[in-house]
Amino acid sequence: SCRTVEPLEYYRRFLKENCRPDGRELGEFRTTTVNVGSISTADGSALVKLGNTTVICGVKAEFAAPPTDAPDTGYVVPNVDLPPLCSSRFRSGPPGEEAQVASQFIADVIENSQIIQKEDLCISPGKLVWVLYCDLICLDYDGNILDACTFALLAALKNVQLPEVTINEETALAEVNLKKKSYLNVRTHPVATSFAVFDDTLLIVDPTGEEEHLATGTLTIVMDEEGKLCCLHKPGGSGLTGAKLQDCMSRAVTRHKEVKKLMDEVINSMKPK
Amino acid sequence: MFVNLGWQGMGQGWTQGSQLKGARGQHMQDRECKTGGFVLEVTQLPLAEALKVEGEADPQRTAECELEGVGLAHVSVLFQIRGSRARALPDRALVNCQYSSATFSTGERKRRRHGDRKSCEMGLQLRQTFEAAILTQLHPRSQIDIYVQVLQADGGTYAACVNAATLAVLDAGIPMRDFVCACSAGFVDGTALADLSHVEEAAGGPQLALALLPASGQIALLEMDARLHEDHLERVLEAAAQAARDVHTLLDRVVRQHVRE
Repeated sequence: SCRTVEPLEYYRRFLKENCRPDGRELGEFRTTTVNVGSISTADGSALVKLGNTTVICGVKAEFAAPPTDAPDTGYVVPNVDLPPLCSSRFRSGPPGEEAQVASQFIADVIENSQIIQKEDLCISPGKLVWVLYCDLICLDYDGNILDACTFALLAALKNVQLPEVTINEETALAEVNLKKKSYLNVRTHPVATSFAVFDDTLLIVDPTGEEEHLATGTLTIVMDEEGKLCCLHKPGGSGLTGAKLQDCMSRAVTRHKEVKKLMDEVINSMKPK
Repeated sequence: MFVNLGWQGMGQGWTQGSQLKGARGQHMQDRECKTGGFVLEVTQLPLAEALKVEGEADPQRTAECELEGVGLAHVSVLFQIRGSRARALPDRALVNCQYSSATFSTGERKRRRHGDRKSCEMGLQLRQTFEAAILTQLHPRSQIDIYVQVLQADGGTYAACVNAATLAVLDAGIPMRDFVCACSAGFVDGTALADLSHVEEAAGGPQLALALLPASGQIALLEMDARLHEDHLERVLEAAAQAARDVHTLLDRVVRQHVRE
């Protein structure tokens, strides 16, 4: 059966042999590449490619007044944009459903994993704090957007350098010392692993756009380095047994190690020679 | 000038390049140019919404063009029938351009709503430029969407958009009359300057944006801001045209290399 006429049958033939049309195994990720610090107008930036899926994250830091109920905490505000540029499925205009779900997912990951301690963003309690606007733009959509966004966010936050700010006692104005910049203290490294469910039984990792379209359900697990679960996102779809879920968790742990290795390489390349 | 082709180049960073000095101290900023994707075969469009060409899964081509010091624009071109059928023109293709600027692209974070004045104006300028260059008669009753996303702006965004869009349209296999190469130019202290950076633009002198079809020397679009004495116009125009021709040499080389691979 032809790929365009009966895509599901086409896929089933491959899955029976425990592999996929692009040659990957069921538990194999696509080639991941990451590039940090390329946008000089942003305070921190990262570009992540997961196969063809490309996401760029730009972080900009601004001043803000802290919330009254937590006067020594700053803000981290994520936003995911899926423009019509990345895929024909998106139209221009206000953010669609998928973009909003992705934005909320990233916000949950930031909150649950405590990737940045909000107290670290405080400059002067009750008066001045940092707000980090993390804007993620998808440049090419080929499935598994959540993993790419999480990784891009992590890499960009690790790339952010904030200048030293002191409050002048006499004038009560903030003085920014652009010459003295320091990296953010990124406390945890949440890594997302996404799966697609085929025919209610088979789980494949890192689905491409076509695979996501044919899948009967999806699952995303966000894990941090101590094997702690930060987030589990399973928006409906076919049911999964507990045992299958455990398999997914162990794959997520392995993926975390792979990503950590890549991140360490990137961090080392960032250090001044 | 240094050219880096293909997505593999991404991992190595975008900062490599060498300076090209033009005549009379007109320095052009570092340029680097990449194309990605594969050539789409142009076929008569079916009435179904999704365009699936034999052997290709996604009829979308992207190209990225960075004129360093000028800005990074990412462009994607889509080719299909979509939207209201009533808008389709019976004898030629409709060209639709949309411009979008990332919030982190400028020094100050600016959250621009979709469809604001600047985006619309840019979109319109791009559309007018490309309607002049694309052979729209060859594809009646269809729509060509050109989406431009600016990731980093450091002056000359219109030029970067046009150059990137040219590459994207070529990559998509859409027939064009010629390359469209663009460059900005200004006039400061009696000297014509090509390819202005953000700082130079903000200085407030007259600025010119020029889009050229290099082979015939025809001007597709020319826009000028602020007051400039007509005696100086020719010099500034020549500076922009020369820079555009240099960009053309670069783009031509990149495309030929890409096709050879």
